[in-house]
Amino acid sequence: MYKLEIKNVSYLYSKNTPFEKLALSDVSVGFEAGKITGLIGHTGSGKSTLVNLLNGLYRPTEGTVLLDGRDIWEKPKEIAKIRAEVGLVMQYPEYQLFDETVRADIGFAPRNLGLCAEEIERRVAEAIAFTGIGEELLDKSPFELSGGQKRRVAIAGVMAMGAGVLVLDEPAAGLDPRGRREILDGIRAYAKKNGLTVILVSHSMEDMALYCDNCIVMNRGRVYMSGTVDEVFSDAEALMDIGLNVPMVARIAAALRKKGFPLTGTLYTVEGVRDAILRLRKEGGV
Amino acid sequence: MISDITLGQFFPGFSLLHKLDPRTKLLGAILFIVAIFMAKTPLAFALLTLFTLVLILVSRISVSVILRGIRPVIYILIFTSLLNIFMTKGAGEPLVAFWIVKIYKEGIIRAIFMTLRVILLIVGSSMLLTYTTSPISLTDGLESLLSPLARIGVPVHIFSMMMTIALRFIPTLVEETDKIMNAQKSRGADFASGSLVRRAKALIPILVPLFVSAFKRAEELAVAMECRCYRVDKKRTKLAKLTFRARDFLTLFVFALFLTGVILVSRMPASLLGGSFVARLLCYRI
Repeated sequence: MYKLEIKNVSYLYSKNTPFEKLALSDVSVGFEAGKITGLIGHTGSGKSTLVNLLNGLYRPTEGTVLLDGRDIWEKPKEIAKIRAEVGLVMQYPEYQLFDETVRADIGFAPRNLGLCAEEIERRVAEAIAFTGIGEELLDKSPFELSGGQKRRVAIAGVMAMGAGVLVLDEPAAGLDPRGRREILDGIRAYAKKNGLTVILVSHSMEDMALYCDNCIVMNRGRVYMSGTVDEVFSDAEALMDIGLNVPMVARIAAALRKKGFPLTGTLYTVEGVRDAILRLRKEGGV
Repeated sequence: MISDITLGQFFPGFSLLHKLDPRTKLLGAILFIVAIFMAKTPLAFALLTLFTLVLILVSRISVSVILRGIRPVIYILIFTSLLNIFMTKGAGEPLVAFWIVKIYKEGIIRAIFMTLRVILLIVGSSMLLTYTTSPISLTDGLESLLSPLARIGVPVHIFSMMMTIALRFIPTLVEETDKIMNAQKSRGADFASGSLVRRAKALIPILVPLFVSAFKRAEELAVAMECRCYRVDKKRTKLAKLTFRARDFLTLFVFALFLTGVILVSRMPASLLGGSFVARLLCYRI
């Protein structure tokens, strides 16, 4: 059962003007409930457009977006309700900070939902715990924080909405490796605890391999590949064909297969490739 | 999306209007605007409308784009038309007299031609300037036309640089506003409902981040310009020099001819056309 599903969706920017541009053409994908699905592809492959369609910021030119099997555009006037169910963290979300204190900014979404003060306080506390924001920062102005801290506050601000689906567009872009891991670890822990369905946009194949269960590869406004991370990453040749940077070890595995070694299994982590080579030796293939 | 606003947007192309020197188009626009305000009779307005249609044909810009450019001013037009209809006092008997409302023939005529005048003004000047001239060449043209003022101490170059930068950043800021609005909408912000005070308050989450980023951009731009040794008080040379060609002189000649035509037609007595009813109608002084 898909939590969120896109059926035959096309999206045109600037319809009926000389600047008309087809960003997505006839895309159909599903996002499994309770899983983390990665969305990869080059700049301009349609990832961000797809993301904006998921919580109803854009309305598909053609096709439908289904949440729990229901068309989210069934009642266009109630699209705000969909946005409370599908939390979206935009690219470089630190631009959205505006309030006087970190606490108030994170509490913006639950305040808009009309929740009581205690519930808001509880959600803020939970969100900062998973994004690694210290209590001492809560009463500071968000504009005094460092870039990485701002990013965490912005992500916490969407988490606090308590949506069942969390969509994150490059949540770790431009951060150092440690900050990257901390943020992604926090998101995963938060999702596991609350049973969320997560959609993670990235163009880091390493992040995909580490954090995602499923993976969708976009290319030129279409779905190029989709499946479990194992399935998608096992076909390193196909990924390299569209110029994606596969993990180093996956490239080695792909080269070995090309040379005639029938490696099988998880071919994108060092351990996986090691086991595959050992298995092959045991079978006496080498 | 607010980026769909077309008023003041450049549409690249290769028509005659696109190729003309920006100074020609600026001077032409001035002549055209003067002609609009000199037009006093229906015949003169017919001439103006015809000329505007020719401009549209020459520019090869689609009619739907032009109509969309008029859309933002429609409410102002309706409002002023109503004012004209209800507030104008005519000489003869009122056409409609009901309670305190009195509508005169003069009011209706004035409303019609005022509307026509504003539409021609917008379409004509956007055909000549904004739709067919890139903002950069427009300010280049302005600077060149105003350069004699530099001799009496007017800082023409500073003004034109300020304008170039302002024009350059309009699309950027529109895009940014769009992005911030989407981010806040994703956090449950509601801009479209509630009382006026509530709606004004709802703008804070957009305006604060917008100002923050605008100031940041301004500072970055200033640093980048200084890094490339930009100095306000030093004379700069141009990569693309403006040159008047035969077609520019010809265009200006046509515009001057047109202005003269409109003025003459506006002053023409009906007797010159034979003095029939149609002739009197065409030469009716508004």
